[in-house]
Amino acid sequence: FKDDLSTSPQAFTPMSPYDVDLPIQTTEDVLFGSQFNQLKELPADFSSVDLSFLPDISHGNKEQNLSENNHEMQKELDGSISRNEDSSIFMDEGSLSYPDATQPSPEASGVCPPLTSMTPMTPVTPSSESSGIVPQLQNIVSTVNLACKLDLKNIALHARNAEYNPKRFAAVIMRIREPRTTALIFSSGKMVCTGAKSEEQSRLAARKYARVVQKLGFPAKFLDFKIQNMVGSCDVRFPIRLEGLVLTHQQFSSYEPELFPGLIYRMVKPRIVLLIFVSGKVVLTGAKERSEIYEAFENIYPILKGFKKSS
Amino acid sequence: MAARGSCPACGSAALVEDAHYAQQQLVCAACGCVLAEGLLTTTYTEEEHLREVAYSQSTGQKEQLSRCLQRGIRRVQDLCKVLHLPTMFEETAVSYFQRALQHPSFHLVSLEKKELLGGCCIFVTCRQHNWPLTMGTICSLLYAKQELFASVYLSLQKELGLSVPALSLVDLVKTHLNSFRLFQQAADIPAPFVEDKEKMVARTMQIVELASETWLVTGRHPVPIVTAAAFLSWQSLQPAARLTCTFARFCKLAGVDLPPPAHLRLKELLDILLRMASQLAWLRVFNMDRKTVVKHIGDLLQHRIFLLKNAFCLEDEEEQHDAAPGEGSPGSPPAAQEEGCPSEGKRQHEDSPRPLLPPCLINPRKRLRTAALSSSDSAITGNEPISDSEIEQYLRGPEEIRAFRKAKAWP
Repeated sequence: FKDDLSTSPQAFTPMSPYDVDLPIQTTEDVLFGSQFNQLKELPADFSSVDLSFLPDISHGNKEQNLSENNHEMQKELDGSISRNEDSSIFMDEGSLSYPDATQPSPEASGVCPPLTSMTPMTPVTPSSESSGIVPQLQNIVSTVNLACKLDLKNIALHARNAEYNPKRFAAVIMRIREPRTTALIFSSGKMVCTGAKSEEQSRLAARKYARVVQKLGFPAKFLDFKIQNMVGSCDVRFPIRLEGLVLTHQQFSSYEPELFPGLIYRMVKPRIVLLIFVSGKVVLTGAKERSEIYEAFENIYPILKGFKKSS
Repeated sequence: MAARGSCPACGSAALVEDAHYAQQQLVCAACGCVLAEGLLTTTYTEEEHLREVAYSQSTGQKEQLSRCLQRGIRRVQDLCKVLHLPTMFEETAVSYFQRALQHPSFHLVSLEKKELLGGCCIFVTCRQHNWPLTMGTICSLLYAKQELFASVYLSLQKELGLSVPALSLVDLVKTHLNSFRLFQQAADIPAPFVEDKEKMVARTMQIVELASETWLVTGRHPVPIVTAAAFLSWQSLQPAARLTCTFARFCKLAGVDLPPPAHLRLKELLDILLRMASQLAWLRVFNMDRKTVVKHIGDLLQHRIFLLKNAFCLEDEEEQHDAAPGEGSPGSPPAAQEEGCPSEGKRQHEDSPRPLLPPCLINPRKRLRTAALSSSDSAITGNEPISDSEIEQYLRGPEEIRAFRKAKAWP
């Protein structure tokens, strides 16, 4: 097997003759999920590198050859090796539990060099360190279909918490105290619920409005509840040079101090609009899911940090 | 119509202009000799006009454009002439306007908005070439409401995907000061108030740069800052005669508007200058206030880099206090501690350098902080049962309805 290894010095093909179709890759995906999906250096023949963490039974010259190979691998796969270091801890446990994993015989195995034998490398810092700041949801807008025609005058008369001014707006404005929300109820039976601080609260509030309408004598149902917009806000805690930001991110930003004191940043992925202010407060809006807000903030935080060190 | 001259063949004077098919020919009526034909005139047929026919007319270009578009283009061209813009700007603005009107979202807007659209195209063109034109100017030329202009401008920017660079404040200084009337002798302006334009422009630009370095410009409307800076620079060039003149009077004499935020900007600028003055060795002995610091603006501007570094702690990583004024800064550099600290009328905490932060962080407005979701709130699933009593609290009783009906006279 010395020959095997030496004939393919640069090889990333499996080092062992056994078909090592270890499902290690899928485990990798499961364990490291989204964070590493972004990193594109994941080599296609990852499985070959995985082999180095198979149970190490016999050392000796195999180890030596392997460390030579490892050096080459290190040169080529800078980042992924260190990830391997991380993953190895899982892999060792993982490989033991996999019944499919063909455990190659000691000689055959690319003898697993103990971690210490690998040349230590500086771990790759992920391109975006977590900011540690979580945006707070401030407002959720949702719609629901009550699926029955409503008499708005009747509702305004019989409900205490309703206001109806047909000359100004063609809907009843109804409010409830818990969760503290406002609803616009239209004669077609459609309803918009605003002001909730979480998706569950919005749903609960919408149900309460539907119950009020039911108690007023209408056969209201609760169809197609959908969150239409979520607004979040947070504070990065340092002032931001908006003029600089609009220069470097011109295609996404719109900063018109004559119109509005904040910078309007239209992020493409996820499709969120951020209002960035000089005080460091950021408002994120346009999300249909909570994760979009978090993702958008994690995307903007490193950009804003770049403008922290001002002249 | 009889033409002059005589026929070269027979000498007769009876020359007639006639058309052979569609070609004009000068023919002798007597012998039929053709004298001239097929003149491709560049003048109108009725030759008394003798005006050149424009390319757009002769090729029928104008007929292809709708009347609305033609009118809009003419309006754009007129505006460009009023603003004395180069011809290249005019062409660019017209092309933007045509592109915009073809866009479905602008095709059917009201005529008022279409006129604003022309103004927006000019505005975008000027900004792209760093020609300092403010929205206020365009709005006043169009007699438009600024909110409407803003909405049309933003939708234009989005639909056409235009990237518009930020307004250059330094250029704005030059154009804004052009409208000041203080550079020449006039009947209503006292002699000591007249100022040399170059000096004033230079000093105003320095003050504006100082303002942008100290976070006074970001997020604020640019014109009040320029106005306040102009006032300060004008005062400081001849403080003896001008210190008594108020800001409002200055603007009236100069013939410019005094925008309301300008007073606040002036105050902020003076505060910055006072902090800088506290670092200047030969000024420490004086008790500076907002009036007296104006006399020394020249010196302060000259050494502004050094003074800014010392007057404000510029490390902004650790200094994360929003509310605490400067005295609480733990990391203040020892070099900035001065002995003879100047006394300020209102604020005592001038001693230690305060962090260089925007004013909104230094004087935060007290806001009701909405409480974060408590643990009980976050346990809501959205599918909890809703009690009848809770719903009934929102319904009116029969007596109430009767009373309400009577009071409001519901139909």
